[in-house]
Amino acid sequence: MPTWVHIVYHSVVSLVYLFLLTKLIGKRQLSQLTFFEYIIGITIGSIASSVAIDKEDFLDGTIAMGIYALLPILFELIALKSQRFRNFVEGKGRVLIKNGKVLERNLRKERMTIDDLMQQLRMKNAFKVADVEFALMEPNGRLSVLKISDRQPLTAKQLGLKVLPEAEPQVVVMDGHLVEQSLKTKGLDRHWLLGELEKQGVRLEDVFYAETDERGGLYIDLYEDEGVVQQMKTMQMTHVQLRKCQADLELFALDTNDERMKSVYAQEAKRLDELLRELTPYLNPQSGRSIRKAVEATT
Amino acid sequence: MTVSAQVKQTAATLKSAQANLASFALSTGNQQARELYDNAAQVTQEIVESLQLRVRELEEEEPQYRAP
Repeated sequence: MPTWVHIVYHSVVSLVYLFLLTKLIGKRQLSQLTFFEYIIGITIGSIASSVAIDKEDFLDGTIAMGIYALLPILFELIALKSQRFRNFVEGKGRVLIKNGKVLERNLRKERMTIDDLMQQLRMKNAFKVADVEFALMEPNGRLSVLKISDRQPLTAKQLGLKVLPEAEPQVVVMDGHLVEQSLKTKGLDRHWLLGELEKQGVRLEDVFYAETDERGGLYIDLYEDEGVVQQMKTMQMTHVQLRKCQADLELFALDTNDERMKSVYAQEAKRLDELLRELTPYLNPQSGRSIRKAVEATT
Repeated sequence: MTVSAQVKQTAATLKSAQANLASFALSTGNQQARELYDNAAQVTQEIVESLQLRVRELEEEEPQYRAP
């Protein structure tokens, strides 16, 4: 067999095998909570690559990969049962700042300089040691920081403010398509959505994205954020202008004593009225029920 | 406001609406909507002309109110 056939065969097998193993190991590996987990990920990857390329090590490599995947799972299962084993395998955090004082001895045990500590603190938005009540080096090497109480962000609770409970938002329009399922979860239907869109003066086909908020309202993002709304406004304005003119004409017809002019005004008023009836669905869909049907027909 | 001024104002408003309708006709991609807008622009144009004619008549009737 030529070499390349070997490589194709080995690559495909090791890829599928790697995929199955990662499914087995699960999400925990990805979080890399400990140094051990971090190293295991790298090792499995490098064994997989040598399995794909080397001609001789195929079986040996797959066995090694299996062990590297299964042993950590075994460790995790034991760690679930035993606290001591857990401390040994997964390690414990180390306190670096306590009661606002830097613990130099612990810093030395982690082989960290004060610069390293300050860098980590800054990444947690604590630019002064004085702001920190407590800092802990987690087993994954990241620092957890608790700021002193008067440097913590103000919350609504501290102010005694009443705030609305958050409700999980639902995406009801995505890429211009209605998501029936999420409307149903909220106990709503497409009529509600079309009604809300009408209230805000937009058509469904102009909406790129819409979500419900905690007040039961609707947040909308349009395809053309400025243009469409501007056009809608111009259309509504034109509609109002036409209606005003129509009313004016009727008024003139009533006002004038000239019989000939009366009939001219009345006739023009009637023409404009007929025109308005035709135009209303296009210019101002909010007024008039029939429009909702027109919008639905387009979806 | 005199009658002729009132009619003049209405004609001006209608003229502005007519211009908008004409621009909608140009910007829409929908054939049906375009025909509708075109027709509407034409009808409003006719009404505007009829009103302008009326303004001229009124000004002849009441020359003292003619706009300077």
